[in-house]
Amino acid sequence: MKAVVLNGSEKGTSILDGAYKSILDELTALGWDVESFMLHDMKIHHCLGCFGCWVKTPGICVIDDAGRDIVKKVIRSDLSVFLTPVTFGGYSSELKKALDRIICLISPFFKKINGEVHHKHRYDRYPRMMYVGVLPRADAESERIFNTLADRNALNIRPPAHASGVIINNQSKKEIREDIQTLLRMVEVEK
Amino acid sequence: MKSNGRVLLLVGSARRPRSTSESLGTYLLEGLRKRGFETETLIIPKIFGSDEARNALLAATDRSDILLLAFPLYVDSPPALVIKGMELINRHRHAGQELKSQRLLVIVNCGFPEAQHNNTAIAICRRFSQEAGLDWAGGLSLGGGAAISGRPLVKMGGMVRNVIRSLDLASDALAEGNPIPREAVDLMSKPLIPSWVYMLLGALGWKRQAKRFGTRKKLSDRPY
Repeated sequence: MKAVVLNGSEKGTSILDGAYKSILDELTALGWDVESFMLHDMKIHHCLGCFGCWVKTPGICVIDDAGRDIVKKVIRSDLSVFLTPVTFGGYSSELKKALDRIICLISPFFKKINGEVHHKHRYDRYPRMMYVGVLPRADAESERIFNTLADRNALNIRPPAHASGVIINNQSKKEIREDIQTLLRMVEVEK
Repeated sequence: MKSNGRVLLLVGSARRPRSTSESLGTYLLEGLRKRGFETETLIIPKIFGSDEARNALLAATDRSDILLLAFPLYVDSPPALVIKGMELINRHRHAGQELKSQRLLVIVNCGFPEAQHNNTAIAICRRFSQEAGLDWAGGLSLGGGAAISGRPLVKMGGMVRNVIRSLDLASDALAEGNPIPREAVDLMSKPLIPSWVYMLLGALGWKRQAKRFGTRKKLSDRPY
């Protein structure tokens, strides 16, 4: 089973280090083949909003850079983990530059889900998705926004399972590990 | 005319000249100019090419009394470069100087017919305003932004009458120093066209565009 971990930390910061290590350790211990990406070290162009990936080169971003490779890794994985400092309740710009590029994984065509319009699937299968945010201190409003954002993402991609959670930076290693284990159970990750 | 203050429009769309964000922001900016404000526009995707351009963003932010942020919804939230701009402004405002009193109004548009898809992005912007010490003037949310596709609102006729009324109300409120009224929020979020029409026109539009590229039969390809 393959897992992809996208680390959206800002260069020169360490707030994600504990959660990142714990995610890698837990998945490795469960026997997963893990590939991780430190996004701030990668040249990933911002999405142009051109919809070329829908009409010009269907399913493939028109920008040939690392962002295209990450999209391929994500759709071919069994689990994709999105790790970010919670930034105004949402994702960091580092994680978002990669996430903005994944729209080629869905179809341009619409369908209604629970009375709301969303895009149709492009693929038959999608990876399970786990969204992990880290906050410097407890902040209920940011945590609420983060979990809502993850749920909205999941509604648009509709993975077979998804989970989201926020870790506070001053949690102990044991607490972080337990939180990660809980999230992994929620996305039904097993050996 | 005595200036009522200075307004900076930040456009967070890379899709120029077909940017709906720019259409909406420009109309509001023009309304404020008529109400005695000095105005300035910066295109966020152009800002991150150089240190000089980044410094220009911060300098423009510093000299403004009102920030208007207009952007398209990308994956349920602001585009990466808009978030980067927010990170930059937030750091700058906490870099030791005394915080200038400034207001933030946000306009978000999405490619789905329902405006509610923008709610999380609006919540993120509101949280940004709190963390950066900006006064939250409100968020306007538009669904079906592709129906505008960068055209000037004044040339679009009745389809955008609620959008124009909303932006006029927002101009009045900002000029008077008030948050935007609920009526402006409600008018902006009214569907431009029925969702079934939007879905139908959307499908036809994708096929028409694909025809130009010879990809009409490949639109559902699975390259990976």
